[in-house]
Amino acid sequence: MTRPADLLQGTLDLLILKTLSWGPAHGYAVARWIEQLTGEALRIGEGSLYPALHRLEEREWVESSWQLSNTNRRTKVYRLTVKGRKQLRAEAGAWTQFVEAVYKVLKTEEQPA
Amino acid sequence: MTDRRLRYFEFWRRDPRRDVDDEIQFHLEARVADLVGTGMAPDEARRRATAEFGDPRVVREQTVAIDQRIMRRGRRSEWWLDIMRDATVSLRSLRRTPTFAITAVLCAALGIGVTAAILSATYSILIRPLPYPDGDRLVAVYGENTVRGYHGSNISWPDYKAWRDGTRTFSSIGIWTWTTATLSDDASDPERAYGALVSANLFPTLGVHPIVGRNFTVDEEPPGRDAVVLVSNRLWQRRFASDSAIVGKRIMVDGRAHTVVGVMPPSFNFPDRGDIWLPFAVTPSQEEHGNRGYAGAIGRLKPGYTIEQAKADLHVIDAALVREFPVDNHGWRAELTPMREDLVGDLKQPLEVFVAAVALVLLLVCANLANLMLARGTTRAREMAIRTALGASRRYLTMQLITESLLIAALGGVLGVGIAWWGVRLLRFAFPNQMPPFFISLTLDAPALGLVAALTIATGILFGTVPALRASRADPNAALREGARGAGGSVHRSRLRSILVVAEIALSAVLLVGAMLLVRSYRNLAATSLGFDERGILSAQLALPVESYSRARAKAFFDDLFARLRAEPGVTVVASAQGIPFSGWNIQSEARIEGTPKPKPGEELITHYQYVTPDYFKAIGVPLLRGRWFTEADHDSLNPVVLVNEQMVKTGFGGSDPIGKRLRVGGNTDPMETVVGVIGDFRHYRLPQPMGPAVYFPYAVYPSHQQTVVIRTTRADPHTLTTPLRNAVRALDPRLALYQVQTFDEAVSTSLWRQRLQGNVLSIFALLAVVLACTGLYGVISYTVAERTREVGVRMALGATRGNVLALVFAQSGRLVALGVALGLIVAFFATRLLGTLLYGIGATDLTTFISVPAGLGVVALVAALIPARRASQVDPIIAMRSE
Repeated sequence: MTRPADLLQGTLDLLILKTLSWGPAHGYAVARWIEQLTGEALRIGEGSLYPALHRLEEREWVESSWQLSNTNRRTKVYRLTVKGRKQLRAEAGAWTQFVEAVYKVLKTEEQPA
Repeated sequence: MTDRRLRYFEFWRRDPRRDVDDEIQFHLEARVADLVGTGMAPDEARRRATAEFGDPRVVREQTVAIDQRIMRRGRRSEWWLDIMRDATVSLRSLRRTPTFAITAVLCAALGIGVTAAILSATYSILIRPLPYPDGDRLVAVYGENTVRGYHGSNISWPDYKAWRDGTRTFSSIGIWTWTTATLSDDASDPERAYGALVSANLFPTLGVHPIVGRNFTVDEEPPGRDAVVLVSNRLWQRRFASDSAIVGKRIMVDGRAHTVVGVMPPSFNFPDRGDIWLPFAVTPSQEEHGNRGYAGAIGRLKPGYTIEQAKADLHVIDAALVREFPVDNHGWRAELTPMREDLVGDLKQPLEVFVAAVALVLLLVCANLANLMLARGTTRAREMAIRTALGASRRYLTMQLITESLLIAALGGVLGVGIAWWGVRLLRFAFPNQMPPFFISLTLDAPALGLVAALTIATGILFGTVPALRASRADPNAALREGARGAGGSVHRSRLRSILVVAEIALSAVLLVGAMLLVRSYRNLAATSLGFDERGILSAQLALPVESYSRARAKAFFDDLFARLRAEPGVTVVASAQGIPFSGWNIQSEARIEGTPKPKPGEELITHYQYVTPDYFKAIGVPLLRGRWFTEADHDSLNPVVLVNEQMVKTGFGGSDPIGKRLRVGGNTDPMETVVGVIGDFRHYRLPQPMGPAVYFPYAVYPSHQQTVVIRTTRADPHTLTTPLRNAVRALDPRLALYQVQTFDEAVSTSLWRQRLQGNVLSIFALLAVVLACTGLYGVISYTVAERTREVGVRMALGATRGNVLALVFAQSGRLVALGVALGLIVAFFATRLLGTLLYGIGATDLTTFISVPAGLGVVALVAALIPARRASQVDPIIAMRSE
């Protein structure tokens, strides 16, 4: 089982940026989306989502504002900035390359000559 | 304004802890609600949500830390944005009123510039550490005589030896005395070098070691072993081309071969700008207790001892010496001064006066700037009112105005650095030969620039705050209504401006009084009857090496030289003396008149004496009052003759005719000297020191090797004789070096440099002050005149003449000027006591000064009021009344 602390920091940032690319969301929604999409495979400690979100805010990849939820509660809503969208594109590209490379190695049957 | 307030709210009012708590709380509650929605029991759902979340305290801590970082950064950029924005707004508004901006910036630049220049000079003279390690532990030791009231006197070798061996408070004490010597070798022209004879322990006491070679050793102190020399870095580079093998080389010093043992570091100067140092060799005559012929001693205090303890320590030793040698040591004891004080000497008091004066100038500048800001505030009252009405907060407007002041001060500060830089360079010229004493480096360095920055901010706040508060307090309603009628001023504002103008006039009156007192003192000194005629005289010193010149040969040399010089066109008299006026030559001894009883210790007749050639007094223009001059025949040492001055007749002979009477100077056992003539008193010592009794001997009786040649000429520029003089000396002996070649005019004028400097600096300040005060007065009067245009129009329509209107405006100016001058004189009456001993020939409350300053200042100030007054009197009543 993957524990939150074991999840690579960069991976969590990438997942957050990706989920926010669909539109503004509060922290709880981000957590639910990540859970639904990754299932049990990438289960994160939900609490660690918040330091990550705030760190992204510090880097100005996301920005936040306070809004009222449908249950009439004060919630903090995050949105991707232009800078964050650029970062997402760059990191997604790098991640895909990395995964493909690793996958290629794993699929290889024979030892290279 | 709105976005600005929001940003304040964002970064100043937000509480990151509460925000993070809210966020976590919302997450947990939402999760529980979702789980309950899927049919889970509430307790189970809560447990599950918490488990999924992890430890909320850790999350909270990490998140809050990040938020606080964000906030700090936000505040910083907010602050910068505010400053940049305020500065931009200020710059824009200054550009709209260039006359105001330029006047204000120049005014601030002058104030900051002169203050920075004076303070940085003061710092480098009074505060910057001396160029010696632990320089604050060094103490200069001289002699003082408590019976005769002498201070800073020379010391004797036996006294020094007693201090050196008996002290418990000094870790070491070294002795030194001035010397000059001629350096000659085959490589370059002979030259005269200044320096000192020093005991072997003196330089180690100072904490200075040669960069090449070594210091002197105690073995080199006995005569005969002392043919060693230390040279300065300057001399080493210049004369010996930085020869790395200099140590061990032999050079000719006063015609005798000396071995170079070391080269001192580049920054080392002793005493003042010395170039060579020789061992202090102790001869039998130095062992005499009465021989106080040595400049002084320098001691290094042991850690933990104060100069007071050292004083007590040496005085115990002195008391024992007085008991042992009641005649020679009568009244004598050590006088201790911290080394810095000894070096700074006479400069301290003028510097204190300069600092006080420059503080007044800066205050005046601030008053003037405040006045300008107020005037501007008047014309901007409408703008401020509109902005207030549109919702600008009072705090914001105040900040905006203060930013404007700071901007003016900052621009002024930048210009001020330029002025200070220039001023500091200018100060160099104030010193004789443009050469400040070695321990002073006149530069504008880091402390000075820091000072400029501090001054700039202080100035900006000082002149900006009052007008800013006043402007922001204005009632927008009233201002708008008044503005519509075109009379945008308030009584308060113009009263404040009047107070500032009165203060400005008062400050400039104080400065004027100070300046005038110092200038008058200088004039008094310069106008002192010197008793000799300093015009048209060239003088130069010459020293013949004792080894190669017997006394007879020395006399023959000078006779030959004089004959050659007399043949030069335009030369009228050629003569020589041991020391000319203002040269610092100061040899004194006890004189005894024949037939008078032996005086009690402390009541001896002390006289100046020296050997002169027959024509010396004719050459310098001193009259013979009685008897006869010396002649060439006066060289009989068995029947010696002397000339005395009037002071000697008064103090020595009780005013009776001294011709034919006999006296004895010093401990001579030869026949007594007969007085053959009386000459007029003249100022031999630097002003303001008075001349005392003097006795002059004929040079021919005792031809000394060191003489100052004096040439009186009809040539317009005596300096044109320098080359013929050099050629004549070279023709006789190419190994000799001429030095101290100068005209008498120069010698006299140089000796008054400090008094001249004092007068000049204060005059510049006073002039600056008057200009500033007049600008202020002009501004205020112009403003009131503009404000009263309507009133003047009405008055004239009702029959007032132009003369009446002029009188009206003048009456207002007159009241301000009179009040300012009166206040200024009261302050000056007390403040001038600070000048104390800087004054010469006048008191601190000199009546002429206290009458002419108000008169002069009054006239100048009223002229400044004339222009606006004329403008008022030329108002056309019809236009004035219709203009609204």
